[in-house]
Amino acid sequence: MKLEIGNFHVKDVVFGNETKYENGIVTINKQEAIDYVKEDEHITDVDIFIAKPGEKIRIVPVKEAIEPRCRVSGGSVFPGVTGDLQQVGNGRTNALKNTSVLAVGKHWGSFGDGLIDMSGEGAKYTYNSQLINICLVADTDEEFERYEQQKKNHAIRWAAMRLSEYIGNCTKELKPEEIETYEMEPITKRSPEVNALPSVVVVLQPQSQMEELGYNDLNYGWDTNRMLPTFMHPNEVLDGAMISGSFMPCSSKWSTYDFQNFPLITRLYKEHGKTINFLGVIMSNLNVALEQKERAALFVAQMAKSLGADSAVLAEEGYGNPDADFIACFVALEDAGVKTIGCTNECTGRDGNSQPLVTLDKKADAIVSTGNVSELIELPPMEKVIGELQSLARDGLSGGWAGDEILGPSVREDGSIIMENNSMFAGDQIAGWSTKTMKEF
Amino acid sequence: MKKAILYINQFFAGLGGEAKADYAPEIKNGLVGPAMELDKILQNAEVTHTVICGDNFMGSNTEKAVERILEFLEDKEFDIFFAGPAFQAGRYGSACGNICKAVKEKFGVPVVTAMHEENPGVDMFKKDIVIFKSGKSAASMRKDLNKMAQFGDKVLAGEKLGTAEEEGYFIRGIRHQVWLEDEVPASDRVVDMLLKKIRGEEFISELPIPELDRVPIAEKIEELSKATIALVTSGGIVPVENPDRIQSASATRWGRYNIKGMDRLESGVYKTIHAGYDPAAADADPNVCLPLDAMRAYENEGKIGKLHDYFYTTVGTGTTQAEAARMANEMVEYFKNEGVDAIVLTST
Repeated sequence: MKLEIGNFHVKDVVFGNETKYENGIVTINKQEAIDYVKEDEHITDVDIFIAKPGEKIRIVPVKEAIEPRCRVSGGSVFPGVTGDLQQVGNGRTNALKNTSVLAVGKHWGSFGDGLIDMSGEGAKYTYNSQLINICLVADTDEEFERYEQQKKNHAIRWAAMRLSEYIGNCTKELKPEEIETYEMEPITKRSPEVNALPSVVVVLQPQSQMEELGYNDLNYGWDTNRMLPTFMHPNEVLDGAMISGSFMPCSSKWSTYDFQNFPLITRLYKEHGKTINFLGVIMSNLNVALEQKERAALFVAQMAKSLGADSAVLAEEGYGNPDADFIACFVALEDAGVKTIGCTNECTGRDGNSQPLVTLDKKADAIVSTGNVSELIELPPMEKVIGELQSLARDGLSGGWAGDEILGPSVREDGSIIMENNSMFAGDQIAGWSTKTMKEF
Repeated sequence: MKKAILYINQFFAGLGGEAKADYAPEIKNGLVGPAMELDKILQNAEVTHTVICGDNFMGSNTEKAVERILEFLEDKEFDIFFAGPAFQAGRYGSACGNICKAVKEKFGVPVVTAMHEENPGVDMFKKDIVIFKSGKSAASMRKDLNKMAQFGDKVLAGEKLGTAEEEGYFIRGIRHQVWLEDEVPASDRVVDMLLKKIRGEEFISELPIPELDRVPIAEKIEELSKATIALVTSGGIVPVENPDRIQSASATRWGRYNIKGMDRLESGVYKTIHAGYDPAAADADPNVCLPLDAMRAYENEGKIGKLHDYFYTTVGTGTTQAEAARMANEMVEYFKNEGVDAIVLTST
């Protein structure tokens, strides 16, 4: 497979008469964009705001982030989700770099939603703080879940994906400023030099714990809860095969933006042919029943072994219960003779005293750690809020609360907040961006 | 000027070795033995008293010794408490650990000691107190007192403290997130560790696996038909109004609710507030999570002696192991006082 990502390095995003890209500037015809989003009758209210790095803006509840793209070679950006099924990972896809489309609730938040600060102390907690965020703020007619803590957030997540395609489409006829090429020979057709290098697979455990459909990450539109571990080309992940879900506490989340840019994958690509022979991705999942966890680990270990992997990079989109899947898979790989490196966050509590993962094993001897979900964070008010600040306290976000005897409510009258890292949008950056680690004190 | 007190054993007080190891605890005004050096190097406090106790006395009458020393300290003003350094001396290390832990708990002041890594006191107390890494013998006394004093000065000045590694004390299992100064992203760290592991080179895991705190399986109940059984759940089943406001995730609260005379938990009267699983089934029939119906049937059949009159509940999702252990210990008091022989713990 040969994937070309045609990059456009965006310097600014503004509203104007025509949706276009010119000299580093994305112009959006706001009304046209809104009309396009409103083609979905489930979207009852919608507006678009732009939030740039350095601005005194707080965005919450954020449900999803997507890089605006255009599949130049034809078809939708997310096959099986926003358009018909087709193979991805081949051909040309354009990307508006330094930007993302955010799905933001006009009022209502849910357990897996997050917060982004565009400047100040809070900005260091999320990757998206560094991007120009095109915020789709919407309300929907999904009355069945309006007051539920767990929401599928289907209409607004799909609206944001469609908006990202609408904006990305302005690059369709343009020549990219830079082309990134991702290409690997089929595994059995590689040169003796490449074959002689230590071979490595990436094992990903996307969030799939909800038995009911609609909350989990999707693979070509297929709910990952209904999936056994499967072998994928890394290009498929980078090119829209995977989309994020709406369930996990937010700092552990992989947004769709993360899947599109997955640093663990792109970093191994850089090593391919030099220090390693990068075999591909085993897409596993996360399950709630012990037998399901064990079954997935069996499949992963067998696939890694059959592919001849000497080594594996394993990462989980979650913490708590998913730690059991992570450790089970780690142990199964090590038992199969595959030298494994894990990438995960931890839950050591506000005081740092708790066991870092729910389950541990001596065989998990090589782990890169990206943060503590329960770290307490206090932030001053921001001049502007996109979305609704009260959702952090009111709607059961994983890192917010309505009241606490000692700490008071998460959202204070003056607009300052106190929250757990849990609700920082994709904050622990387990996809590989994280410059955080964990230390003993 | 802030005030400090130092604990030492009979040997470093100059009273003698093994022959004087039964020396009973005493407190002296001013500086004895290593207290002189400590007072000299400590910038932000003066050492006002020295506590002395024989290692044997502390070893064989620990409770009495600790109690007596805490009494000595009750009317003293002090802002920080030091002990040792104990080097490789096992009994002295254990004594420093015991007294530091007790002083920290009773007076809430910072406590600092130092021991050699082979001193058994390290493993016994490193989770509870700050223990600096000392040399093997008194040859490194000055150096080790320096580490203790420097740390003490920082704490007293309210300066930002570094990690355990940066400061030089044994790790305590207290882990917090930090941003790496060199800003190396996780993907680079993964590849670096990967290549080292492949090549058989040394690498340092960012999550060293601690020794597991395993709870042994309980003793078998010999006569189930005479036993009182209680129902406990981490599945978040509560009366619909959630009277104790137990949190839906990362719980710090728990509740106990009377079920005397009830055959089952009715939907609409009880529900789950747990945010980590689909609540539909448990809301429709709370007994699927907290099986009161089945336990009551066992009671009626005589299979169990009695079902305890209360059920105990909290939420397990995101709840830290430390909070879970605290809540369990609070529940255990009720079980003990009210004659519960065993519990059935249901999760989700």
